[in-house]
Amino acid sequence: MASFLATYDFLLVSMVLAAVLALTLYLPLMAGQLSVASPGFYALGGYIAAIMSTKIFPAGPGLYPVSLVLLEMAVAAVVSGALGLAVGVPALRLRGIFLALATIAFVQILGVVALNLQITGGAVGIFGIPQPFANPIEYMWLAVPLLLVSMVFVARLERTRTGRALVALREDELAAAAMGVNPTYHKVLAFTTSAVLAGAVGAVSAHFINTWNSRQGTFDTSVNLMAFVLVGGSRTFVGPVVGGLVLTALPEALRGVAGVDLLPGWLAAFLRDGRLIIFGVLIAIGTVFFPHGLITPGLLRRLGRWRARAR
Amino acid sequence: MSLRVGMSVSMIAIAVLCCAMIGLAADPPIPIGVSVAQTGPVALAGQEQVLGAQIAEDYFNKHGGVNGRPIKLVFQDGGSDEPTAINAFQNLINVAKVVGIMGPSLSQQAFAADPFAVRAKVPVIGPSNTAKGIAQIGEFVSRVSAPVAIVAPNAVKAAMEINRDLKKVAVLYAQNDAFNKSETETFQQAVKDLKLDLATVQTFQTTDTDFTAQITNVLNVKPDLVIISGLQVDGANLIKQLRDLGYKGLIVGGNGVNTAAIFPICKAKCDGILIAQAYSPAYKSKINDEFKSVYKDKQKKDPPQFSAQAFAGIQVFVEALRALDKKSPIAKMDLAALRVELNKQLISGTYDTPLGEISFTTGPGMGGEIVQKQSYVAQIKMDPDGTKGTFVFVK
Amino acid sequence: MNRTFLLQQVLNGLAIGSVYAIFALGYTLIFSVLRIINFTHGAIFTIGAYATYALTGSQFGINGLLAGATLPFALPFVLALLGGSVVAALSGVIVERLAFRPLRTRGADPLLTLVSSLGVAVALVNITQYLFGAEPYSYPDPLQGWPTAMNFGTAGAPVLVRTVQVVIFGVSMVMLVLLTYLMNATRTGKALRAVAEDMTTSSLLGIDTDRLVLLTFVISGFLGGVTGTLIGLSVGVAGPYFGIAFGLKGLAVIVLGGLGDIPGAVVGGLIIGLAEAFVPAQYIAYREAVPFALLFVVLLVRPQGLLGRAQVQKV
Repeated sequence: MASFLATYDFLLVSMVLAAVLALTLYLPLMAGQLSVASPGFYALGGYIAAIMSTKIFPAGPGLYPVSLVLLEMAVAAVVSGALGLAVGVPALRLRGIFLALATIAFVQILGVVALNLQITGGAVGIFGIPQPFANPIEYMWLAVPLLLVSMVFVARLERTRTGRALVALREDELAAAAMGVNPTYHKVLAFTTSAVLAGAVGAVSAHFINTWNSRQGTFDTSVNLMAFVLVGGSRTFVGPVVGGLVLTALPEALRGVAGVDLLPGWLAAFLRDGRLIIFGVLIAIGTVFFPHGLITPGLLRRLGRWRARAR
Repeated sequence: MSLRVGMSVSMIAIAVLCCAMIGLAADPPIPIGVSVAQTGPVALAGQEQVLGAQIAEDYFNKHGGVNGRPIKLVFQDGGSDEPTAINAFQNLINVAKVVGIMGPSLSQQAFAADPFAVRAKVPVIGPSNTAKGIAQIGEFVSRVSAPVAIVAPNAVKAAMEINRDLKKVAVLYAQNDAFNKSETETFQQAVKDLKLDLATVQTFQTTDTDFTAQITNVLNVKPDLVIISGLQVDGANLIKQLRDLGYKGLIVGGNGVNTAAIFPICKAKCDGILIAQAYSPAYKSKINDEFKSVYKDKQKKDPPQFSAQAFAGIQVFVEALRALDKKSPIAKMDLAALRVELNKQLISGTYDTPLGEISFTTGPGMGGEIVQKQSYVAQIKMDPDGTKGTFVFVK
Repeated sequence: MNRTFLLQQVLNGLAIGSVYAIFALGYTLIFSVLRIINFTHGAIFTIGAYATYALTGSQFGINGLLAGATLPFALPFVLALLGGSVVAALSGVIVERLAFRPLRTRGADPLLTLVSSLGVAVALVNITQYLFGAEPYSYPDPLQGWPTAMNFGTAGAPVLVRTVQVVIFGVSMVMLVLLTYLMNATRTGKALRAVAEDMTTSSLLGIDTDRLVLLTFVISGFLGGVTGTLIGLSVGVAGPYFGIAFGLKGLAVIVLGGLGDIPGAVVGGLIIGLAEAFVPAQYIAYREAVPFALLFVVLLVRPQGLLGRAQVQKV
């Protein structure tokens, strides 16, 4: 068990953080908006934490206090929220593919800015970010509550009036507007909440991977998030969480399988080096056979009935 | 039916047991981890590193391994992003239980993954990390890739000797790559120190293929010298397009273009370029000649810097293991102690590698930085038909 | 600003822009008929470039599964270009049959198709790397005897543009004319536009939509292959990832010109090329942001692009 943890501690925490990030894509999607802006706020949150912990707070001996990490998360959340509001209000008048493209553009622009500012360290980025924990697995103290809080938040949201308004917007924006649902208000709400969450995750991640640079939070991240939600399940909050957990683990699971000695050499080599091929094919297959993702509300209902019957 | 199945299963089990026992009887090979970019956009560099490491494995196993015991390289793809590198390191440290790791390919990946190795007390040798601050990550981190601080001024000086009237300099660098960003800072400082006129600094991305805009800006200031810090493909294209668009002055290229891989792209136009090198195929030494000949057999061209540095990295591990074994038999050490002792040993040694004679700095907080005796400036000489070229020593 | 410099900037812009334009043509064609963004275009482009390389009888490097492989024959460049583009077109068809058609028959959301195309693109690019390794390749030069750059200025004040870029500009104009002719003046073009308007109704009216979709992918794939090869000629086949960078910028190009509008793709490409060329020297570090900043602004101000029609949503 200790050896399993020692090998996979980083992966386990990455899985949880990925699940939270998947929720940041799910939130606007509840309102029918495909926004891939989360990686931009994720990057911003990471930079804020990196800059605060390396330049603003003095480096003392021993571990970096967790309270400061929480402070950084709060600052990252607020700044991301503000930026989200500023970008969201004009951008969310767009629909469908146009919004997706606008958010892609946003992330690219942020990336170029990050490469050029002195304070972000350019291509090298910021390194030597202090650790609040002695062991990577202890990051679960931050990651798991973050995941639980976001899950509870989204679950409750689905049941409130706001949540129903979002679903109404997703089903038919014009009809919803005609019925008195304010589309811009609700869309911006979803977008800004998603930005806040992404910023907080970014702040934790910066400490988690010891360094932060413009390669974190790019279009590639958007692709991963889309895979999490669209393969995991786009109609219930459980979907993105499961998608995030499973798809983050998948490339590393393939790496592990490739290491098993009983496999013929060519298969092991393919599993090891062809991880991205397998990933891409899985995404393509997933969209065909599971258009609403693997976890659908129908499946959850059936599981619920199954459990009830088993009692 | 079940009797036959039972018999086959038992036979297989016995066979497996026998092989396992035979395996146990001899000393198992010493595992050394290699985690470089075998997939993703950086795979070009990673491929060269894999090759260099494999040549080293064969070479040292042929020459007795570690006092009779062979080494075995365990490859885990570090990918081109930070999390993959971290996961690869974790796998090598905990599953493959290697005595040390060579990798990762990118400096940014090193900043992310090396701290994990430091925590686990596993020595890491960076084969191609050149950003400032790598060796300072921790006492278990060292590197065989020299930051260009020494070579850069030499290359500029060599250019000044060729063109005595050299005054104006234009600098171009890949802004999205840590290797090149660090390198260009050194070049720009050298230009200022040598009292030359830094007329313009232009940036590009390593993924760029068209440099027309930057070249127009460069030609506009009419420079006598153009300094390029880029990787193989972008650097080579930049050189080709500079020449296509009429630039006739001198060009100095940084470490990133120190490879025969640029010849297919810029062909005859690569001729005359001065390269600041951390490795030169023309360097005369027994081990470099042997390394070069093995490489040339496989690839039909001179070894690039990345391969040579990877070879040197494995060499440092092997020779340190040999020295350590002589002091105190490593077969008797447990893994944790072995890793710690190996790290101490490798930092204190001196090695005659294809890169020249190298050793490491010691001392608290800054151990593991490479001290490279030789540094090279070479000029590329291309055949008139543009297919073959060589790097000719200038200094 | 002196006249020569200005002219140089303009020509640079057109040169850079025509590369984007020729890429965007295939991209926008698929959008115009199917209303989907096909991210595999960048991967098909790469496959075309590699196929042409193989058909010129050249040898692949030592990495990858097919290390050291060569075809037993060698074609002259233009034939290899055509052959490579046919291979690209076939790849496009395979992708369509395997990945997009199932989504279409299930009536899937275009966003789902977008994600699927991303997955397929990732898979294709990595398969290419797996087979051929990551090193760059160069074509045997068909323009060997020609001067490397053409001078549009005077001998005293030269305004140079690389010859291969003039060729690319020429080819993009020819492609534009051919495609526009196809869409507007032929029966097939009319059928394609009908399918674009409403696929169900078109099939009810007797148009074989399936065959036309296939045709769209064939043309787009062929264009992608031509583009990949020409760009490979200009800058070398830089590795399996060299098509992906175009995929993102290509988005900016087709939105600027108008999603689905064929002349728009060329106009958008040239405008973005010019914008990039005119970035002042001291701000060159922000050049990469220019296409995306333009994309963002266009989306906010005029989402239908310069040449597109405003989309009226029917209730």
